[in-house]
Amino acid sequence: MSAKMYRSADRMVAGVCAGLADHLGMRVGTVRAIMAGACFIFGAGLVFYAWLWILVPLAGDDAATGTRRLDDDGNPRLKLFRPAPTGDAGTGGIPPTRHAASRRRGASVGLKEILIGGALVVVAFLLFSARAGVNLNLGTVIPLAVIAAGAVLAWMQLDATRRVGLLNAAKMDTPWSIVRFAAGIVLVAAGVLIIVTGSGSWALVWASVVASLAVLAGVGLVLAPWALKFWRDFQGERAGRIRETQRAEIAAHLHDSVLQTLALIQKRADSPQDVSRLARAQERELRSWIYQDAGQDPGKLVAGIKAVCAEVEDLHGQPVELVTVGDAELGEAMRALVQATREAVLNGVRHGGTAVSVYVEASPSGVDVFVKDRGAGFDPAAVPADRLGVRESVVGRMQRNGGSAEIISSQEGTEVRLHLPALATHSPGPRSGTPTAEETK
Amino acid sequence: MTEAARPIRVVVVDDHAIFRSGLKADLAADIHVLAEAATVEEAIAAVAAHSPDVVLLDVHLPGGRGQGGREVIAGCAGLLAQVKFLALSVSDSAEDVVSVIRAGARGYVTKSISGAEISDAVRRVAGGDAVFSPRLAGFVLDAFGTAEVAVEDELDRLSARELEVMRLIARGYSYKEVAKALFISIKTVESHVSAVLRKLQLSSRHELTRWAADRRLL
Repeated sequence: MSAKMYRSADRMVAGVCAGLADHLGMRVGTVRAIMAGACFIFGAGLVFYAWLWILVPLAGDDAATGTRRLDDDGNPRLKLFRPAPTGDAGTGGIPPTRHAASRRRGASVGLKEILIGGALVVVAFLLFSARAGVNLNLGTVIPLAVIAAGAVLAWMQLDATRRVGLLNAAKMDTPWSIVRFAAGIVLVAAGVLIIVTGSGSWALVWASVVASLAVLAGVGLVLAPWALKFWRDFQGERAGRIRETQRAEIAAHLHDSVLQTLALIQKRADSPQDVSRLARAQERELRSWIYQDAGQDPGKLVAGIKAVCAEVEDLHGQPVELVTVGDAELGEAMRALVQATREAVLNGVRHGGTAVSVYVEASPSGVDVFVKDRGAGFDPAAVPADRLGVRESVVGRMQRNGGSAEIISSQEGTEVRLHLPALATHSPGPRSGTPTAEETK
Repeated sequence: MTEAARPIRVVVVDDHAIFRSGLKADLAADIHVLAEAATVEEAIAAVAAHSPDVVLLDVHLPGGRGQGGREVIAGCAGLLAQVKFLALSVSDSAEDVVSVIRAGARGYVTKSISGAEISDAVRRVAGGDAVFSPRLAGFVLDAFGTAEVAVEDELDRLSARELEVMRLIARGYSYKEVAKALFISIKTVESHVSAVLRKLQLSSRHELTRWAADRRLL
C-alpha cells in the first residue's frame, strides 16, 4: 500500500486498476472485476476509470518532475566532492528517456480526452434539455455549436500557449491567465447567447440557466485535468532548467578558477613557493565557493579577518589557519582590530616563518583575536624603539580604539593577543588625536 | 612512547589512490598499514577482516548509500569498542566535521596535515584519546557557546576548564602547550578533550540541535 496513488507502469490499459490496487492494498484482479462490474451501472466504472486515467500520474512521473531531482542536483557543492547517491538505481528510478516518453504520451492523450469530454458534455447537455421538455430547435442548437466551437478554440489556444510557455519560462504565468480569461469570455458569451435566443419566457430562461451551469460544470470537469497536466509539465521543465543552469554555472566557475590555476601551476613548476601559493589561493577560493560558510557578509568582522588573512597568505605563500567563533558588525573600532590583526599575521609570517594560526572569538562582551606562530620568538621589549611595526600598528592601534594588545613570545613561538571590549565597538570614545603623537616620540 | 614496542595497525580508507600512497609514505615507522579501501563496502569489509587499531577514514567516499565515512562507521558499529576511527578530509565544513564525529569518529584532521602530525594523531587515537584540530575546537565552541555557565546537565554544557582547553586548541596550541599554559598534565588535557568529544557525540542539547539545524546538519 502506498500513500500517494500512481498509475502502475505494469499495466493492461492505463495502469489505473493496478495503481488503485496498490494504493488500497487490494488484489489487482479484484479491483479489475469491480471496475468492470461498475461499467454496467450506467457506465460509472467507465467514467471513474477515465477520470483516474486523466488525473493520476504515471508511476515515476512525479519523482522525475518533483523535488527529488532538485535535491540531488539542487546543491552544486554536494555534487563536487560527494559521489552521486547510487541508491537511485535501486529504488526503481526509471531512465529519463522513459519519463520523456510518458510525458509526451500524456500530452497527446490529453487533447484527445478533452475533445471526447467536450463532446460528452454537449451530448449530456442535449439529453438534459430534451428531458426538461425543451424542443431541440435551431435556437438552442446554434448556441450549443458556438459553445462547442469556442471551447475547442480555447483548448487549441491553451495548447499553443502552453508550448510557447514551455519554451519561454519567463512568460509562464501570463498565458495561463490569458487562457482563463478567454475561457471566462466564452462562458459568458455562451450564457448570454442562450438567454437572448430564448424568447423570454421564464421556463426557457430557467432551463437556460440550468444549461449554463451544466456547461460550467462540464468545462470545469474538462479543465481540471488539463490544468493539472499543465502544472506538472511546468514543474518538470523548471526543474530541468534549474539543473541545466547550475551545471553551466559550475562549469564556468571551474573553468575560470581551477583550470586557469592548474595551467599557471604547470608553468611555474620550477618554483615550489609559487606553486604552493597558487594552490593555496585556489583552494581558499574554491572552499569559499563550495561551502559558503559564514564570513560571506562583507559588513562583518569575520569576512574582514578572512580577507586580511588571505591577503597575507598570497603575499608570502605561508598558510594562515583561521578559526572563528561568532561574528560582529564591522564598526570603526572593528576595522582597526582587523588592521591590527593584519599586522600581527604579517609579522608572524615574516618573522615566524611558519604556518600562522588565527583564532577570532566574538561574544557579547567583546572580541578576542589570537595570532600564533611557531617561529623562534623575540623579546618585545628588546625591539628597537624605531621599529614601529608591532608597537604602533598593533599595540598603539588597539589602545587608541579602546582595546588592548599583548605579545607573548618564547622559544616555541609568538602569540599576539588582541582584545576589544564590546563598549569600544559601540562608542569609539576614548580616542583622540594626541596619543599618536606621544607614542611616536 | 611506551606503545612504540607494538606497531599500530591501521587501515587507510580513501578513494584517491595517490593520496593513499602519499599517506602511507608519510606515516611513521611504528604505524603499519594493513589494508587499503576505496569505497564504503571495501572499507567495511577491510575493517571486519583485519580489525585494526585505527581506521584513517576519508569523509567523502563513493559507494554505499552515498553517506561516505559516516556509513563506514555505522557499518562497523559492532567493532567500535576495539577499532578507533580518525576522520580525514579536505573539507572543513561544519556539516562534514560534526556529522562524522557524531557518527563515532574519535578525531578529525584535515588532509593538509604533515606526516609527523598525522602519525601523532594516529598514536593518540590508538591510545583511546580524542584528536581535535583547531577548526573542530572552533565548531565545538560555536555549538556549545563560549559563555562560562554553571554545569547543570553535564552532557549539555562545557565546564569552564573544558572551555579553556577548547579555546587554546582553537588558538593552535598543541596538547603539550595547552598543558603548560593551564599548569595541568597532558593526561588531564587528554581527559578534558575526551569528555568534550563524548558531549559532542551524546548531547541532545537544544542549542546543539538548533546549531546543527541552522547549518542543515540534521
